[in-house]
Amino acid sequence: MTDKEDLADHVTLRDHEYDGIQEYDQKLPGWWLFTFYIAIAWFIVAWFANYQLPFTYTTDEDALAGQLALIEMRKNEELKTMLATLTDESVQEMSQDPTHVAAGKAIFETKCVACHGSDLSAKINGMQLPGVALNDAEWLYGGKPLEIMNTITNGSPDVTKGMIAWSSQLSPSEVAQTAAFILSNQPE
Amino acid sequence: MPAIRKPNLESLTSINPDGSRNFLHPADVEGKFTMWRRVFGAVLLAVYLLLPWIKIGGYPAVFLDIAERRFHFFGLTFLAEDLWIGFFLFTGLGFGLFYVTALFGRLWCGWTCPYTVFLEQIYRRIERLVDGDAMARRKLDAAKLSGEKIAKRSIKHGLYLLVSLFIAHIFISYFVSIPRLYQFIQQSPYENAKIFGVMLFLTGCLYFAFSWFREQFCIILCPYGRIQSALTDDDTIIIGYDEGRGEPRGKKSDPLAGDCVACNRCVQVCPTGIDIRNGLQLECIGCANCIDACNQVMDKTGRPRGLVRYDSLRGLEGKKTRYWRPRVALYTGFMCMGVAMLGLFLTGLHSAKIELVRMPGQPYYMDDNGVRNQYRLNLVTKQNQETRFKFTIPDLPEGAIVSGIEETVVLAAGEETMKTVLVQMPKDKYTGEFLFKIEVTVEPGDFTISDSAEFLGPSPYTLN
Repeated sequence: MTDKEDLADHVTLRDHEYDGIQEYDQKLPGWWLFTFYIAIAWFIVAWFANYQLPFTYTTDEDALAGQLALIEMRKNEELKTMLATLTDESVQEMSQDPTHVAAGKAIFETKCVACHGSDLSAKINGMQLPGVALNDAEWLYGGKPLEIMNTITNGSPDVTKGMIAWSSQLSPSEVAQTAAFILSNQPE
Repeated sequence: MPAIRKPNLESLTSINPDGSRNFLHPADVEGKFTMWRRVFGAVLLAVYLLLPWIKIGGYPAVFLDIAERRFHFFGLTFLAEDLWIGFFLFTGLGFGLFYVTALFGRLWCGWTCPYTVFLEQIYRRIERLVDGDAMARRKLDAAKLSGEKIAKRSIKHGLYLLVSLFIAHIFISYFVSIPRLYQFIQQSPYENAKIFGVMLFLTGCLYFAFSWFREQFCIILCPYGRIQSALTDDDTIIIGYDEGRGEPRGKKSDPLAGDCVACNRCVQVCPTGIDIRNGLQLECIGCANCIDACNQVMDKTGRPRGLVRYDSLRGLEGKKTRYWRPRVALYTGFMCMGVAMLGLFLTGLHSAKIELVRMPGQPYYMDDNGVRNQYRLNLVTKQNQETRFKFTIPDLPEGAIVSGIEETVVLAAGEETMKTVLVQMPKDKYTGEFLFKIEVTVEPGDFTISDSAEFLGPSPYTLN
């Protein structure tokens, strides 16, 4: 137990003692108390602003949901305008445009080449690949530009065949470009 | 002029009995440790200042690119998903700090902590330059408001603010790089409101911390400071006073007195306001000011140096310090474990990434050609130049056809792509499921990385 005589002048020891532990009776630093008062003031202001006033503010979750909704809306809008203007003729026109064809080729080479082959013949070194040959005039699910786009977007109608729906990975315009590339490789 | 408060063990010198702040003005000190602390501080400040400017492998030496989620350290690039390696970095560093603390006490606080370095090597020097020595500063504090006081205060706080602004800008350059920072500086604050706000906040924090808060942080807030008592023991090297040699204090002429001449120099130079002769105290940041101060006095009185010195509590009692103790062994072990794991994972880290995953949909497809699996191959380059990926598949079962990765893939700097890969086994060659591996040789760098996947299919007996 600390002897009261040894203490500095201004320090007093409180009377209670537990398991030999005693407590000084000293003031907290002013700045420490100040942070405590600030917290109280902040609580009042925050409570008033959040629950008593009709203010609304966006949380990160709200902001994220808003951005996602915006992306979804833009996608839908793009789809809508594309569907409104898109005709077999317009996609056919895209297949004459080198920039669209080049963009479609790049997509084809990363996503489609594994099944349909780099020359669209669905063959590699003479071996048959699982895809359908795209460089002939035969079409399983329709050869019109919009029908091709439908197959790319929604996948093969026969789910056992393995062609997946690419709509989650390609935007409508990318699908159109891919279709344009395929059409540009059609025999005359 | 107010009297200097006499330090005691029961309360803080820097807090008055009524809770108000007693602003400390440590006196000037010269000596071996002060000199080396200056040199060391200058080196650390130079490192802090120069790291964003030095380029290694095309990126600043340390560049935490938050916007792109790419983190560059001395030529190594980490992606957000490499963050787990940080666990070993921080445990390694953490136990490294434990280790140093167990051996040498608060060596970190006095010599390397950025807080101390900024405070002692920059802000206190500005104060010394503008306001004069400790006596003059105390006098100025107590003086009534006058033209001179206003001028000195404005100059001092103006310089504080300038330095804080500068430190804050350098800090931000670690996250946005120097060229971008320069671009931001030239633009209107409204265009980069968030970063501008962060910069202002940082400047405010630095200004507050170093102009007013000072030692309060080390004594009351710093978590590392607060766990000292759990990390040190009687064999830890701390700064201490040799009571056996020094006591009883008295005049030099007094033949009964010890070596301490009660000049109080050690108290006057202390930045946290303690009397080191009261023993080891939680306020002590191990700055060694009192050692230099006492050594000077000992030199003058013709007595040997080291009345206040770096020693362990055991050493100060005249016994031998045990350096190798279970605590030290344990911390060494933990530190080595963290460092070894970090080293191991860093050598396995490459400037490119490959990832082979199954395509969504059916696990496998059957048709006349045989069994077929479809995969997605993700490729990432972390290099800042065009990168080429060349694929090989070792140990592929006979008859298997792989398509999609015949050609070399070329990615532009920092780009990533996704390829479709297809593996097909003819019916007559198919003997069951197997594991295969795609290896890719990456140029430039000429290293090989790989990822493996399972080829799934039906039981081969059901096929015929």
